[in-house]
Amino acid sequence: MGAVGIDIERLTVHYDGKTALRDVSLTIPPNQIFGIIGPANSGKTTLLKCINRTVDFVPSARVEGLVRVGGQDVRQMSNVFELRRRIGMVFPLPVGLPLTVYDNVAYGPRMAGVRNRGELDGLVEKCLRQAALWDEVKDRLNLLGTKLSGGQQQRLTLARALSLRPDILCLDEFSIAVDPVTTMKIEEVLLELREHMTIVLVTNLVQQARRLAQSTAFLNDSRLVEVGETKQMFTKPAQQMTYDYVTGNIG
Amino acid sequence: MSSGKMSNGGLKTPKADPAPRRMPSATPPAKTNGAPAPSAERAHASYRYFLCPASKSSAPNGAGGDASLERPASSLTEVVAAIGRCHGGAEPSVKRLAGYDRIEICATSLPGVAPTAGRKPRYAFVVDPLGTSDGRGVGSDHAPWPDVDTALAGIRKLSEQGALTLAPGEHLRLSVREVFSATPVDRRKRLKERVAQTIFLAMTVALVVPLVVILTHLVAKAWPVLTPSFVFENPKNNMTAGGVWAPLIGTFYLVFISLAVAAPIGILAGVYLNEYARDNWFTRIVNLAVVNLAGVPSIVHALFGVGAFVMFAGMGESVLAASCTLAVMTLPVIISSTKEALASVPMSFREACWNMGASRWQTIRTIVLPNSISGILTGVILQVSRAAGETAPILFTGAAYFVNVPNKGLGYFFPYALDKSCMALSYHLHVVLTQVKGASPAQIAAGTGIPLEQLQYGTAVVLIGLVLAVNSVSIGLRMYLRSHKKW
Repeated sequence: MGAVGIDIERLTVHYDGKTALRDVSLTIPPNQIFGIIGPANSGKTTLLKCINRTVDFVPSARVEGLVRVGGQDVRQMSNVFELRRRIGMVFPLPVGLPLTVYDNVAYGPRMAGVRNRGELDGLVEKCLRQAALWDEVKDRLNLLGTKLSGGQQQRLTLARALSLRPDILCLDEFSIAVDPVTTMKIEEVLLELREHMTIVLVTNLVQQARRLAQSTAFLNDSRLVEVGETKQMFTKPAQQMTYDYVTGNIG
Repeated sequence: MSSGKMSNGGLKTPKADPAPRRMPSATPPAKTNGAPAPSAERAHASYRYFLCPASKSSAPNGAGGDASLERPASSLTEVVAAIGRCHGGAEPSVKRLAGYDRIEICATSLPGVAPTAGRKPRYAFVVDPLGTSDGRGVGSDHAPWPDVDTALAGIRKLSEQGALTLAPGEHLRLSVREVFSATPVDRRKRLKERVAQTIFLAMTVALVVPLVVILTHLVAKAWPVLTPSFVFENPKNNMTAGGVWAPLIGTFYLVFISLAVAAPIGILAGVYLNEYARDNWFTRIVNLAVVNLAGVPSIVHALFGVGAFVMFAGMGESVLAASCTLAVMTLPVIISSTKEALASVPMSFREACWNMGASRWQTIRTIVLPNSISGILTGVILQVSRAAGETAPILFTGAAYFVNVPNKGLGYFFPYALDKSCMALSYHLHVVLTQVKGASPAQIAAGTGIPLEQLQYGTAVVLIGLVLAVNSVSIGLRMYLRSHKKW
């Protein structure tokens, strides 16, 4: 399985009377870093949850519209676990599972049925290296993941997301709890990973999107304001609101 | 307005305040929490001026009185003028007031006679050099005057308006506040804090007292029979001798079987309700039923047990029927405590697992249950002590007055058949309290009988000891597992 693209058509999501996304249509091409920027409460996280269908776990959510991953409608998929395995997710707050560092990274593969110790060992090391965490934890893989520092836990979360060799990696403001130096390291890794997967990068740091993304979408107030090539979005966007946002005049 | 001729003011009493009345509880330096404690370094000055409305003659030239005790001023305006000459202005010769100093204007009925003033001033004003009232001060705590001159002007103005009247014996106090000095609001806060703490402590002590009293009373009364043989011997000679082994084993039977029934049902139902159930009418009804079931009196459970297990299910009065009745009684609490324990596992853990393609059951098995098992077990173990202590539910369903059980061999440890009734500690206590006559004096004298009272208290001690032991295990388990908490 290689990298796959995502098509979103007229996606609308309501939570209990509150509308989180309104009529959003987007195409995320494969092997890209796709930036999504926008102020808080603009629906960025909901968009990600619709892609891997974890929005199903929100009892009050009502989803309309279409999300296609690799051409397949996610709502029609019978094996939703396979969908989630193919989409790595990193959320803003680090969540170290109450397991050892090793088991944290090996969790996904194990739940998918990988039992071979040697295979797991290699996978854990590779993912921890990709997440720029290996050097810090290689001697204490048996430490509880929850005992790591916040930044380390966030990288652990990233390693966990990579452990299933996903086709799509969704990062939701991953750098909030990470220091700038580590952020730069991870950003380099992301640029390498782009060859193998599609990366959806939701970020509050407008400059991060500018550095990394080929295309960027701007969401505001649960609507898609504009989507386009990053260079164009940051220099001469079509909408005044986008210009104001990326130049820091609002938000 | 001040001149060299000025007398140096009223009674010269820059005396050390023996017990700083201005700040009753605030001053001990150790308690000021890092704030400087100037009171410890400098004696506070307290100046008193006197006012005697009936003493026109004592101030012959009208303006020159110094408002001392011997020559009190005749009006408040005069006193204020005298104070101003002494403390006001910018002259280096005047006595400056500093933090915690105060001026009191006391009204007296006769010159030379110090009034026996109450401690509480009729009027209290405040000067705060660092106050924030920007000259708009009114002398109150919240809007203090910025300096003494402003204060005196303010007092004069108030007295001209007729707002200040001092009857003999009353006094007016003008106090100077210091940085970090406790304001009355602070002092009230501190007082309330102390009162609240005392009340809470008292209630806590009141909580422990009954337990201690009950335990001491029971143990003291039962002391002579509290030997290992009392615990390990079966009752004999029509319950005039022996011990409580058979009822104790019966209680173990009931508790274990009832938990073997209730724990799996309760825990699994709790897992379903917390992990799987959506918020719909069915879940709500189940939750409501659980809450209400927990509140049903145990005697009602007993009647239900008689109807459902003894009669309908055909178990008869048996260990099984009694255990099932106890299980029904403990079930709702096990369900609620399981739900609570599961809910204490952060949602983010579950979401992280789901995001990696784990199913709900995988998530529960690998993350949720291992991290909530301590709470679940604690809830179950607490039900052990409840099941062991209840009498009503087993009264009609399977508790026996007396069962003749083997005194040795395997039958000593497993004396009861599940389809026959058994003895139980709680019911045994009821029996020895109300049903048996007890050993005769001759038997006691011969050493073959235990006095009835000791038998009663001994049984009670064993029962309460069992309950306390189970609870301690529960507390210990909880503490152990908490110290191994993983996040």
